[in-house]
Amino acid sequence: MGDVDVFAAIASPVRRALLDALRSGPLPVHQLADDFAISRPAVSQHLQVLRNADLVAEERVGRERRYRLQPRPLREVTDWVGHYEQFWSNRLTALRDLLDEQP
Amino acid sequence: MSAGIHTDAYLPHPAERVWRALTDPVLLAGWLMPNDFQPIVGHRFTFRTDPAPGFDGIIHCAVLAVRPPELLRISWTGGPGIDTTVTWQLAAEGRGTRLILSHEGFDDTDPRQRALRRMLDGGWRGHLAHRLERTLDALT
Repeated sequence: MGDVDVFAAIASPVRRALLDALRSGPLPVHQLADDFAISRPAVSQHLQVLRNADLVAEERVGRERRYRLQPRPLREVTDWVGHYEQFWSNRLTALRDLLDEQP
Repeated sequence: MSAGIHTDAYLPHPAERVWRALTDPVLLAGWLMPNDFQPIVGHRFTFRTDPAPGFDGIIHCAVLAVRPPELLRISWTGGPGIDTTVTWQLAAEGRGTRLILSHEGFDDTDPRQRALRRMLDGGWRGHLAHRLERTLDALT
């Protein structure tokens, strides 16, 4: 998990749209800026937030820097069922311990 | 689509004792989380835990059903798409109690969850499409 909360990173519709655009493969900033009709500095700023959340990675291709979607942090935050399975297993053990210790 | 967790545990204690551990706020805090629970249908309360990504650490609950010492059901809301219910059922078994836990209603249709899942699916498809594209580029 990066420095930035994944949900904070995807709270912005522009950033969600950027992630969506990267689904089909890595893209350079200028192409994202053209596709979204927003300035390159604005796109760069959004990409920086996504990079801090480990949602995109930067890669160099020749003189060009491209941004690639990294879906793993998304997988971690959507696995609530798995998270709660583990949680309840631990809590039921704690309940058993508590009952055993009660006089 | 909705998913759930079902688990159970045998506890070598009478159901009345297990019921107390589920419904006394101090005992409940001892094994679950700090809370202001009261075993009264309609009572609203919270559990508090450490925050996590996308989750402020507060679980908002309401008591939905209380049938001592057999059944306790609460709503459990906290985190994206987590608008769920938790049901505890107690059944006498031998010299102890079988405690059955159901945590149900994990909702895959929450817009944030949907957006995340779409991107996840796309991530894999995108990766494959990209590789295929490169392979095709290499052929021409």
